[in-house]
Order: sequence, then structure tokens, then C-alpha cells
Amino acid sequence: MREAALYLVAAALYIALGVAFPSLLFSWVEGTAFLLLAVWIIPAYVRRLLR
Amino acid sequence: MSWAAHDLEPYAIQRHLGGRVAFVPLLIGSYSPDLLSKWFVYGINVLGVEFKADDPVQFHRGWPGIGFTHSLAYGLLVAGLIWGLSGSRIWAWSFLLGQWAHILTDAGDTIGTMLFFPLTTETFGVGAWAYAGQYGRITDAGAYFSGLGFVWDGVFVIYGLLSWRMLKRKYFHDVIVRADPRFWGWMGRRLPETALLALYRASFFYGTTRWFAWLIWAHLVRDFPLDLSWGGPHWIDAAFD
Repeated sequence: MREAALYLVAAALYIALGVAFPSLLFSWVEGTAFLLLAVWIIPAYVRRLLR
Repeated sequence: MSWAAHDLEPYAIQRHLGGRVAFVPLLIGSYSPDLLSKWFVYGINVLGVEFKADDPVQFHRGWPGIGFTHSLAYGLLVAGLIWGLSGSRIWAWSFLLGQWAHILTDAGDTIGTMLFFPLTTETFGVGAWAYAGQYGRITDAGAYFSGLGFVWDGVFVIYGLLSWRMLKRKYFHDVIVRADPRFWGWMGRRLPETALLALYRASFFYGTTRWFAWLIWAHLVRDFPLDLSWGGPHWIDAAFD
């Protein structure tokens, strides 16, 4: 559930950013990097900080 | 030309064929026809110098040009090379399916694709939506998301969302990893499972979110007129073969 929520938040954020700055929508590499940041790197960093 | 189908079709193919295809080469195959050429079709500016094909349509889909990447034979050739070099039949077959899905989808626009190159340089297409790549990315996006092209992509968005179970961890382990244990095993020694799952889901995420974003941008932020007639939108001077 928590994982699905992370993906949904990432999707909503990416859509909002893409609408505001369409050039962000051109690159698969940037889209994938955004997803990795949102669902893996940032959550892992936050968990480490909270430990 | 398609804006989300090439991201999403591999998931639909994977869903139907299960462990008989490997996901990564399927995805690479789906992206391969445009992998090295799209930037030159739209043009880029490097330090004030613009690099762009003189005739973007001819370059992208024609011959002379790089249109041979949109042929059935190109898929067979690269798949044969993959088989010969890696010895993996599933990688070769999966690449071929992905590449063929791409060129058949692109045959939906007004230019079509050189399906039977090198036997003929004629392009085959059904002309359902306007090819507007020659106008640059932004206008192309506006045109694509105002005609039947975005509807075709929408079929895969909806199909993918209805098939959400294929994005689950269990499906990833039971089907995706099992079909291609060598690649995912190699990746698994370098990245945690969370990252592997994100990579597997990345194209679905990218294709679906950008489909929604472009639609919102084209019709709520900008005011591109919607025209779902065959070959539309007709407010743009589409390229025809």
C-alpha cells in the first residue's frame, strides 16, 4: 500500500511538472531518473535519516 | 510516430506471452527504430549551432535516410545479430516482437513505414493520424494529442491500467525474472529489489504519465483544437507519402 502510494504521488508530481514544463516530458532517461529518485533514493535516504 | 504506445506496448505483449518473452529486449526493440534518430528529426541546438535533418520526414521514414530502421527486415537483422552474439533465442525473439510492434504502430500515421525495405522503398500506412514531426517537438505533440494518435496510445494506457497486476512484485518475480534470470540476476547483484522493480515499471510510468500530461498541456494549458477525424488533426499540414 505504501509502495503504491509512493508511485501515485510520483505520477501526480511528474504530470504536474510535465504540464508546467513540457520539455521534461521528452526524455525517457529523465523520466526514469525521476521515478528512481521518487520511489527508491529519496525514501531510502529519509529512512536512513530517521533511523 | 507515437508518443506513448512504444513505452506501453511491451507490457501488453508481455502480459499476453508471459514467460515466452524477455521484457528488457522487448522494450529495447520497441524503442530501437527511433533510438538514434529522433533528435535529428526534431533538431537540437548545441552552442548556438542547430543540427537538424534538411528533410526530417525523408530522413526519419525514407530512403535515403534512416527509414530502414522502420522495416521488418531491420528487426530480423538485429534479432539475428543478437542471437548470433549472445546465443539467446528469447532475447532475439523478444527484440523482434518489440521492433515489429513499433513499426506497425507507426504505420498508423500519414507517412507510414517502409515495412518491406529493401524489397521496396514504398511506405505503408493507414493514415489514421497526422505525421507532424517536421514542425518540431512542441507542435508535433500538440497535433498528436489532438488526433487519433493519442486515442491509439490511450488504448494501451487503459489496457495497462486494467492489467495493473503485471506491475506487482509477485508478477515481476514469477514471470519477468524467471523469463530472463541472467539479466535480472546480474542487475540484482548491483541494485536492491526496490530499484529493480522501479526499472521494470519505469516505461509504464513514463508512458502513462506523459500521456496524461501532454493531453492536459495540449487542451487545458494550450488550446490545440481536437480533431478526431481520420488523418487529423487537419489544422496542421501533415506530411504524406
